[in-house]
Amino acid sequence: MKNLQSLMAAYLFVWGIFFAYHLTVARRLARLQDEVERLKAMLKQV
Amino acid sequence: MPRGMKTSWLATAAVAALIGLAGYSALFVAPTERTMGLIQRIFYFHVPSAWTGFVAFFLVFVSSIAYLLRRRPQWDWLAVSAAEVGVACFTVVLVTGPIWAKPVWGIWWTWDARLTSTFVLWVLYVSYLLLRTLMGDPERRATVSAVFGIFAFLDVPLVYLSIWFWRTQHPQPVIGGGGLDKRMWPVFLICWAALLALMALLVRQRYRLEALCHEVQELAIDVELHSAERATEIR
Amino acid sequence: MNLARAATIILAKELRTEFRTLELLQATVVFVLVVLVLFSFTFDPTASESRRFGPGLLWLAFLFAGSLMLHPSFTREQTNETLAALRLAPIEPFAILLGKVLANFLFLLLAEVLLLPIFAVLYNVHLASVLGRLLLVLVLGTLGLTTTGTVFSAIASQARMRELLLPLLLLPVLTPALIASTEATAGLLGDPPELRQVWLAFLVAFDVLFLTATWLFGEYLLEE
Repeated sequence: MKNLQSLMAAYLFVWGIFFAYHLTVARRLARLQDEVERLKAMLKQV
Repeated sequence: MPRGMKTSWLATAAVAALIGLAGYSALFVAPTERTMGLIQRIFYFHVPSAWTGFVAFFLVFVSSIAYLLRRRPQWDWLAVSAAEVGVACFTVVLVTGPIWAKPVWGIWWTWDARLTSTFVLWVLYVSYLLLRTLMGDPERRATVSAVFGIFAFLDVPLVYLSIWFWRTQHPQPVIGGGGLDKRMWPVFLICWAALLALMALLVRQRYRLEALCHEVQELAIDVELHSAERATEIR
Repeated sequence: MNLARAATIILAKELRTEFRTLELLQATVVFVLVVLVLFSFTFDPTASESRRFGPGLLWLAFLFAGSLMLHPSFTREQTNETLAALRLAPIEPFAILLGKVLANFLFLLLAEVLLLPIFAVLYNVHLASVLGRLLLVLVLGTLGLTTTGTVFSAIASQARMRELLLPLLLLPVLTPALIASTEATAGLLGDPPELRQVWLAFLVAFDVLFLTATWLFGEYLLEE
């Protein structure tokens, strides 16, 4: 059924787009958290 | 586990459950529409995504005004977070629209009122994000994008009205036509609630990213200051 | 100094600067001409098609020309750092913006009026009978264009890639004004010519809304 394919595709895109956005933010968040730890460690040394 | 983390997991789980419920309702509980059949179920996320996007852009509007009046950077963080999530919402609308149109009308795109307005809106806020990317100084960036954010939102009703009037004079195939059966409303509202909850979660996450960015900058300055102090001390 | 006087002084300064060389006006007129001619190459319209698409093409041309012409409004101040001097003057910041808006408005309107007869010839439209009402549409549409354009010129001048950024910011926002102006113009060029009130109301609403927004928030763009 062609309509079913389109329906599935649409739902995949809906969640896919939101999830992809979530992932990009999460990745940057993790990287920045590492950076914060690194800087805090440097401050303790100095 | 620190308290912040715990509420985060709880919130995520709640939103996930709500989304699951919404998806299930849209796919199985909602009655099948007479003329379009299965494909009409896209509607339950296509339209609420637009509404959620509006709420997000309204947030940008309010935060922009608040920033100009109060000058606290937190308002700017909220503005950019809401703008990005809003763009994500409207991206969903612009992608699901053609997926709906192809089986129903046989064409991918139609310059109907809703899709055209959505497209303009999408470009508008992408420009907002682009403007921010092209500015370096955080305070200038916050001020300037706040002004643009205000103008952009003021334009939104005019965009919709003008395109709607224009389309009534030059009609085209309409995506998602047909009214809502009484039984469809609850499903529609559940889906909208789920998307609003998701929006809140995503905005909060993006806000944290912005706050962290700020913290990193402050820490970097601290490190520089302290190493400079130490250097003079040793001498 | 009250707002009207301050704005008039700024307006006079802008006009004097421009009329010294007139290069911006010349460039704008030539640009619109080129756009109109290019359109006829790409679309190769018949006589009736010309009349149908004419209004839209005219306003698109004005839009492109406007967004190029608005660019120097603030970048000119940047090269000589004259904006700081303006800010020091005992006038409210909105006067600076208003003066620039009016100057840009008068220039663009002048360019449009100069181009109307050429447009009428190239696209086979009769403007004589509707000239007054057409001018009204031109005034309202151009005011919307220059109000938002001047504000966005101030915005873009503070960012990188400002030549590209100004049209990118301006054109989406101007969509309602573009639609309204085109539809109003098309109504006037129709048979029989009618002035569609709806679109006039839109243009008035657009202008009032964004002039007010400029008054409320524009000054933040002129800060140090």
